[in-house]
Amino acid sequence: MTRLSANAVLGLACILFALVTAFLWIPFDTDTWLVERARGRYTLGDSLAPTLAAGFIFLAGLMLLREGQQTEDRPTYNNLQFIGAMIGMGVVSILLMRWAGPIAVNLFASGEEYRLLRDTAPWKYIGFVLGGGCMVFAMIAFVDERVTLRALIVAVLAVVGIILLYDVPFEDVLLPPNGDV
Amino acid sequence: MKLSFKAAIAAAVVAVSGTVAHAADWTPPGPIKMVIAFAAGGGADTQARLIAEELEARHGWKVIPEQVTGKGGLNAVNALKEAPADGTTIGMIVTETLGYNMASAKAGQPTDVTPITTTAGTQMAVVALSSKGWKTFGDVIEAAKAGEDIRFGVMTGMLGDLAYVAAKENGVDFNIISVRGGKAVMNGLNAGDMDVGFGAGIQAKAVAAGDMVELASARSEPLINSPDAPLLSEYGVEFSNETAFMFAGPPNMDAAARDAIAAAIADVVTSEGKANAFITKGFGGPVVISGAELEASVQSDFDSSAALIQAASE
Amino acid sequence: MTDLGALDYVLLGIQAVFAGPEAFSLLGLPIPITVAMVTIGLITGIIVGATPGLGGVIAMAISLPILISIFGFNSDALLPVLGFLIGVMKGSTVGGAVPAILFNTPGTPDAFMTTLDGYPMAKAGKARKALKIAHFSSVSGDTFSDMVLIVCAPFLAILVEAYLDLPEKTALIILSLSFIAAVVGGSPAKGLLSCGLGLLAVYIGTGEDFYPRLSFGTDALSDGIPITAAVIGVLVLGAIFVELEDLWHQKRTSGGIQIIKEVGDQRLHWADIRRILPFIGRSAVIGTAIGALPGIGSTLAATIGYATGKRRHDRRKAPDDPSFGNGAPEGIAATEAANSSVSGANLIPVLSLGIPGNTAAVFLILAAESIGGFNPGPSVFKFTTDLNPELVIVFGLFTAMIFANLLNWTIGGVFMRSLGVLARIPKQLLLPVVFLLTLASLYVQETDMSAVWFAFGFGVLGYFMRRFAISPLPFVIAFVLGSRLEDTARQAFSATGGDPFFLFKSPIAAIFILAAVAVIVLSLRKPEAKSA
Repeated sequence: MTRLSANAVLGLACILFALVTAFLWIPFDTDTWLVERARGRYTLGDSLAPTLAAGFIFLAGLMLLREGQQTEDRPTYNNLQFIGAMIGMGVVSILLMRWAGPIAVNLFASGEEYRLLRDTAPWKYIGFVLGGGCMVFAMIAFVDERVTLRALIVAVLAVVGIILLYDVPFEDVLLPPNGDV
Repeated sequence: MKLSFKAAIAAAVVAVSGTVAHAADWTPPGPIKMVIAFAAGGGADTQARLIAEELEARHGWKVIPEQVTGKGGLNAVNALKEAPADGTTIGMIVTETLGYNMASAKAGQPTDVTPITTTAGTQMAVVALSSKGWKTFGDVIEAAKAGEDIRFGVMTGMLGDLAYVAAKENGVDFNIISVRGGKAVMNGLNAGDMDVGFGAGIQAKAVAAGDMVELASARSEPLINSPDAPLLSEYGVEFSNETAFMFAGPPNMDAAARDAIAAAIADVVTSEGKANAFITKGFGGPVVISGAELEASVQSDFDSSAALIQAASE
Repeated sequence: MTDLGALDYVLLGIQAVFAGPEAFSLLGLPIPITVAMVTIGLITGIIVGATPGLGGVIAMAISLPILISIFGFNSDALLPVLGFLIGVMKGSTVGGAVPAILFNTPGTPDAFMTTLDGYPMAKAGKARKALKIAHFSSVSGDTFSDMVLIVCAPFLAILVEAYLDLPEKTALIILSLSFIAAVVGGSPAKGLLSCGLGLLAVYIGTGEDFYPRLSFGTDALSDGIPITAAVIGVLVLGAIFVELEDLWHQKRTSGGIQIIKEVGDQRLHWADIRRILPFIGRSAVIGTAIGALPGIGSTLAATIGYATGKRRHDRRKAPDDPSFGNGAPEGIAATEAANSSVSGANLIPVLSLGIPGNTAAVFLILAAESIGGFNPGPSVFKFTTDLNPELVIVFGLFTAMIFANLLNWTIGGVFMRSLGVLARIPKQLLLPVVFLLTLASLYVQETDMSAVWFAFGFGVLGYFMRRFAISPLPFVIAFVLGSRLEDTARQAFSATGGDPFFLFKSPIAAIFILAAVAVIVLSLRKPEAKSA
């Protein structure tokens, strides 16, 4: 057999990840070891639980190698294309959601801070409408493989609907990104 | 490790009534974010949310509560450190966060935040189920000396140290179990997973019903519900726990904002309302200390923590 | 205050539901808030169940933040919110049969077996009757399961409290996790991987030390990963990615859904009920037994229920009756009773041990944790003489479940039969909207942009897990139980005075640990035995 099975590749990846986690990530990124001494006694340290988790992943890797070629479930090139596109659209939309409002305030309301306007219309809607609308529109257009008016209408209806659902009836509810700017 | 609360209350009430007038001019420039360092649904969280509600009702401010829990309140302190100092971010923690927790984690200074005001004290007691048959903490020590394994439930690092020192001073050993939150100690006692534990006031109902008994006061004065219970100092423990709930803001907070918020919160907790009723029932009544006095007591808490940390590491 | 006995708690629970605060009044009759929320939940559940591409999990994920905004963080919020979620849970199980029977498109994986006989029946002009059989069987199974829950959970909880100490509780969580890892999905290796990843994820940024472990010193990771973001990301967003991709591949020209004309008598006669009752009974027992074990979901229950029913039917049917797969009403009954009876029994481990067994239970725990004041687990069942509010909540929940069943018996069937039209909503328009709605809901609860990023990231992880045929359920349950596992282990270790062998010192704990190892080892041997 010249080509490794999907399970074998996944298994090797698990083993590698588990080893890196257990011997590099955990020791260098955690304050206490597996056990530590406090108040004259041994107590469990912060490393123990993650090391156990790494152990599970390691064991799963071994078992995957042993299971061998039972199934061929793995992402294909086609799958990667799809999820790559989704990630791209999602990241752009979320960034738009976060920054569109502050940028608009900078451009059109000089001297004001977005933070203080985050509960004031229309500023508070800019990010959600642009980012959320972009997300829905892009996803529909991608799956349909064409840009349609229908996709645009659905996207607009979706953001307006969500604003009506959350922002209008609830005094204390803030839409993204207004809760933590 | 001791705040002289009694004297402070009197002074603070006077101070508060003095600041109300000029602070009334201040209005927040935007919505106020209220960082809450306690898990949702617990007594402390309810207290914070009731205060938020009444601040909105009485002053027309918009207050948005946000949970930032973990690391004994230090996560909340971190959130405050970065926030703008114009009064749009405040947080509810306990005095222990800026005292013992900061000192033991070696994570900065109390001046990393601006103390605003305390709201309520605690009724910190050593608690056990009455079915154990113990009357005072002395009985627990006797049981330990007779060879019984004693499991002691604590919810903060400082209380763990207190339990350790209490055992050491009396020549016994406790198995100290740290849990998250006072409710978990109560559950542990009820389930028989622990023999004794600390309660900050949450035990009041069970004590009144006779299901639990307060074996000792961890404070420097007797408990309200069990005035006859001995103090831990009677068992050779020279430290006490006077934890109080408090609000703090970002470092170098705008003075007008700080005074106005302090006055508003003091008004909410001391005058009749839902928050006041809740605090009176669960935490033995409002305790309002603010300004320089609070700063000084928090700092002295921090400075004196080293002694307890030292005692518990021996 | 007079002392409270067990019966008083039952009465208080019923009162909490029916004498609670009034939502509105209908024809002069005050409608209590919990009653109203259970009803709305049930209707919502039937609607989302009947819409292909949606389901109970999505509805729960989206509605939880709205509910918390409405009801706030106090114990008065618990019954209305949990009642709503239970309504959704029950409604979506019933609703799932609608598109399966009418259009051969199962809305949920467990409804797949329903298509086998439901769709042939519909094609034969008996759609309405098939829906009635599905409804009758589903609600019967559900009701049976709830009865078992109500009887068993308190006793199991009291046993657990009486006999299990901290080391045993630690061992029990380990056993549950290994069981879930071994039985969910085809391969135990992938189950274990899913479980390990879930644990590792929940340990990031948490822990006892001041330094947030595994955070690379970054602010984003230092508060840990919000549990809702991880759960919703892997379960909901991951599933939406997969569905969207399937649509993208199909480039399906929607439309062309045929409406089949109904022929003949559509009523459900006593004779019909007598015929399907034995199938319902067996499947209800199978489903309840499976539901009581954590991790094995309704899909397996449906499969086993269907297979058992088929064996019986093949032996006993009259020669001219349709056999399973050709439109046998017994087939629908066996499937629907089995998958519906999982949901009630699934709450047995939740309420008595605090261990969630399926996704619906995960959301109930999330709701209880977000609102606070109710910690599902054995400590809830403490019949104290002074008021134990958590116990009242439990009996309130039981009342809400019985009430939801009554509603389901009466209006559920009528309502469900009117929903065939929902199957025609184009999924490629619906799913992106649901995606955004889910993110917005998550943000409303967490008020933190990092939660949105986390959820999106975990959605991508959930997508890849599904493409590798790794079940996301062990991940989610490990994430939910991870902190408890660590905390209980720490406490057990301290409680035993730092004994490194604390998990093996008591016989019960040792048995649990051995069983945990045995479950994994046995599941490894199974495929070999089959191929040999």
